[in-house]
Amino acid sequence: MPLPEYIKKDYKRTRTMKGSWYLTSYKYKFNLSRIKEYLKGLKNGILLGLKCRSCNTVSFPPRLICGRCLVKPDQWVRLPETASIATGSANYDEEDKKREHPFPVIAVRQDGADTALIHNISDDVDFNSIYIGMPLKVVWAKERNGLYLDIDHYEPIEDPAIELNKKEGSVD
Amino acid sequence: MANVQPAVISAGFCEHASKRSDVNMAELVNEAVEDCLNKAGSVEWKDIDYVINGNMPAFEGANMPELWMTDHMAAKNKPLLRVTTGGTTGGSVFVSGYYAVASGLYDMVLAVAFEQQSCGNTTVGLASVALGELSIYPSLGYEATRLRRNMGAGAAIGVASYQAMNYMRRSKATEEDLARVVVQNRRNAAKNWWTHLKMPTITIEDVLDTPYISYPLRFGMVCPASDGACAVLFTTEEKAKQIADVPVYINGVGSYANEPAIIGVDCGGAGQTDPCEQLGAVKSAELAYSQAGISFPNKEIDYAEVYSPFPNQELQWVERVGLFEPNSAPEAYLNGVTALNGEMPVNCSGGVNSTNAIGASAMERPAESALQIMGKAGNQVPKTVHTALGHGWGGAINLISHVVMADEPQRKFK
Ligand SMILES: [Zn+2]
Repeated sequence: MPLPEYIKKDYKRTRTMKGSWYLTSYKYKFNLSRIKEYLKGLKNGILLGLKCRSCNTVSFPPRLICGRCLVKPDQWVRLPETASIATGSANYDEEDKKREHPFPVIAVRQDGADTALIHNISDDVDFNSIYIGMPLKVVWAKERNGLYLDIDHYEPIEDPAIELNKKEGSVD
Repeated sequence: MANVQPAVISAGFCEHASKRSDVNMAELVNEAVEDCLNKAGSVEWKDIDYVINGNMPAFEGANMPELWMTDHMAAKNKPLLRVTTGGTTGGSVFVSGYYAVASGLYDMVLAVAFEQQSCGNTTVGLASVALGELSIYPSLGYEATRLRRNMGAGAAIGVASYQAMNYMRRSKATEEDLARVVVQNRRNAAKNWWTHLKMPTITIEDVLDTPYISYPLRFGMVCPASDGACAVLFTTEEKAKQIADVPVYINGVGSYANEPAIIGVDCGGAGQTDPCEQLGAVKSAELAYSQAGISFPNKEIDYAEVYSPFPNQELQWVERVGLFEPNSAPEAYLNGVTALNGEMPVNCSGGVNSTNAIGASAMERPAESALQIMGKAGNQVPKTVHTALGHGWGGAINLISHVVMADEPQRKFK
């Protein structure tokens, strides 16, 4: 059912001229010095976080400057393959409507890191079963090329907290 | 600190609609400026000595629109400044008006914020904001479909749905709680003359019947794209007392930004892992309250306008700016505390949820709050409003502006 009509007022139409603006004609510059190291790690199946020596914040993927201390982090730390969901949403655009479930998009916080990145969860996971703090594990791409999607997606793993809750529940 | 006490003496609007096909940008702005000056008593065009103007950066494909509309806002032969900070543009324009008077350099300042979304292409506009950051991804192995899906969810609605996810988890708010906020806003909008989505009969069921647009937000919960403009007149305490029946004094101004939620800079991860934490809002509110001498905002503020295109944000902001205890806002909305005749009325103008002319929205918040103090608002609350706040959100996702106004000047100027 649609929303009730809102109270509309018609305005006289006056002349309109068309114009366009090509965003793709712009050029953008990136500093890849930190990303390269990170991608090399991915190619070898290693997850590298970048640690700020001043405040111990670990960024994953790496950040060029630590916003807290205004220093350039330079200490690489190896991170485990486990992660958790920081937040999420589901995409309902035209193409995705053909799917049985909406397309879930999640922000992942790698264990040992203090930042989040947007990624995907296994295709067979129903979006409604996703929750914040849900533990995940990295699923590597079949072929690793030293690119962003060498981590193909994340898959859910057993949540010890749920088991713990169940046990505590039985005591009560 | 300022040694001049700035005051608001008038605020004007034009009619907002999805397509103001009868006017162009300059004429749209002119309507708001005329409304503002008509309400300003003896003030005339020639009395204005400084003009500030702002809208989203080129969302209508026109850079430097302030030069185009110079004549339409009485800026000829006067110093003119353009301010644009994304969604917070209106808030920043308002804050700039405050600074101009507080500096002691100008006595009568006109601030104008506008947006004519029907002339522009908001998708292209938002893309121009994000493209610089995202354009690197394809060369790092991100295919187009996946990039569109993942980062498409990172546009304004996506950021709001992330905030909604985390807010609902924290507060146990339900979709019905979100729909209740929408109903309150749209019904309030029906009573205010300049708003866009006037829906006097909307119900919670109507909202929940619409499809999801980005989980957990439904189509019926999302703000419209509007054409509109807002103008505010600032002056000094002395002049305000001569001109206005009820001068509204600006007693506190805070503007903080925290890290963008979720979208990292230069492919880096975002430092903010909980999108509903909103440290920027907490900080700017603290700063503004300390300037205004407010220790208990939940007791001392009589009226609030917060920037909430999406209903979960309204619940989130009223908590972050200290009007309600954390996670208690849904209950307050249920009990009618925030209604027109409630103890803490919020967004009685209809809010951004009913009218969103992006560049103007964040200025319409303090402008409406000022009108509530003057007793001249379109949907005036029955109680007397002494102290009110206006809040803005936007920019690269998390730039906040926070303004506290009152019918009494700041304590140290008494
Ligand atoms: Zn640091």
